Amino acid sequence: MTKNFHLRLATLLLIAQFAVRAFAQSAPQLIPPQLEKELSAHASDVTEVTLNKSMLSLATQFMHGKGDDDAATRHLLEGLEGIYVRNYEFDKDGEYSPDQIEKLRQSFMTPEWTPVVHEHERRSGETSDILIKVVNGENRGLFICSAEPREISIVLILGPIRVEDLSKLHGLAGLGALAEFDRDDAPKIKEKDKEKSKAKKDGDQ
Amino acid sequence: MSGQARRWEARCPMDEMNEFENKLKQAFLRRPAPPSLKQRILQQRNQRRTEQLHNRTVLWQRLAACFVLAAVIGGGLTWRHIDQQRKGEAARDQVLTALRITNRALNQIQTRLAAHDRDDHE
Repeated sequence: MTKNFHLRLATLLLIAQFAVRAFAQSAPQLIPPQLEKELSAHASDVTEVTLNKSMLSLATQFMHGKGDDDAATRHLLEGLEGIYVRNYEFDKDGEYSPDQIEKLRQSFMTPEWTPVVHEHERRSGETSDILIKVVNGENRGLFICSAEPREISIVLILGPIRVEDLSKLHGLAGLGALAEFDRDDAPKIKEKDKEKSKAKKDGDQ
Repeated sequence: MSGQARRWEARCPMDEMNEFENKLKQAFLRRPAPPSLKQRILQQRNQRRTEQLHNRTVLWQRLAACFVLAAVIGGGLTWRHIDQQRKGEAARDQVLTALRITNRALNQIQTRLAAHDRDDHE
């Protein structure tokens, strides 16, 4: 009797564990929860966008405009697994520490994520990061983090990203720049720039 | 034909007529109705009326139930459609917000990198 009860309990626990794992997989973590809590607590304005695959396919169905942008966005969203965006705006400087941004960056420092742009300006405290997830030579994800003294924008796009489609979004011209970042030589140039500027700044000091 | 047979033929229709007349008389004879007949007839009529009324009520009840069911299903489908539309519009807005934020972040990064480039050239 007791044996039976234990067996049932173990089965239930196993099912619960699988369910929790499945849920965790369906909603990937964009920011470590503690960090997200801290940033939200200090921000004056928070914008959160969480779109999983089903929400994206639903949104695609409602992009029935005949404009080029709608068609391009529809094409861009096809096959995407999720879009997760957080935007924090602060009333004054120093509401977050550079360590928090570094912590966030470190959470994406895994072999599957390739840094395309990394720039940190100590004087202004501005940080730019673009990482691309490459799986079997294909872009399967994009992580963008742009931090200014009074604003942090974090973007995580999962799924096959067709960079050539981004440039078709006329209303969102900045996305077309991603095609430039995606070129092989682009990361090196940006890194060189960073080194040069750093050396220049050191020289000035 | 013998004389006896001829006599038989002549007598037989008369007997039949008499017999028939007797039967008719018996049939037309006025007999008092049994005392419970009126009550039974009225009871049967009432029962028939009640049954008819019941059947009509059941029919209307069924029709009303069908109408309510159709209204519930129709309402449910309409609500689902409106809800889906609302969710879809919200999702679409969220996608546009996400793309706008992404666009702005990339613009900021581009501006910073361009400023660095300019610094390097100077």
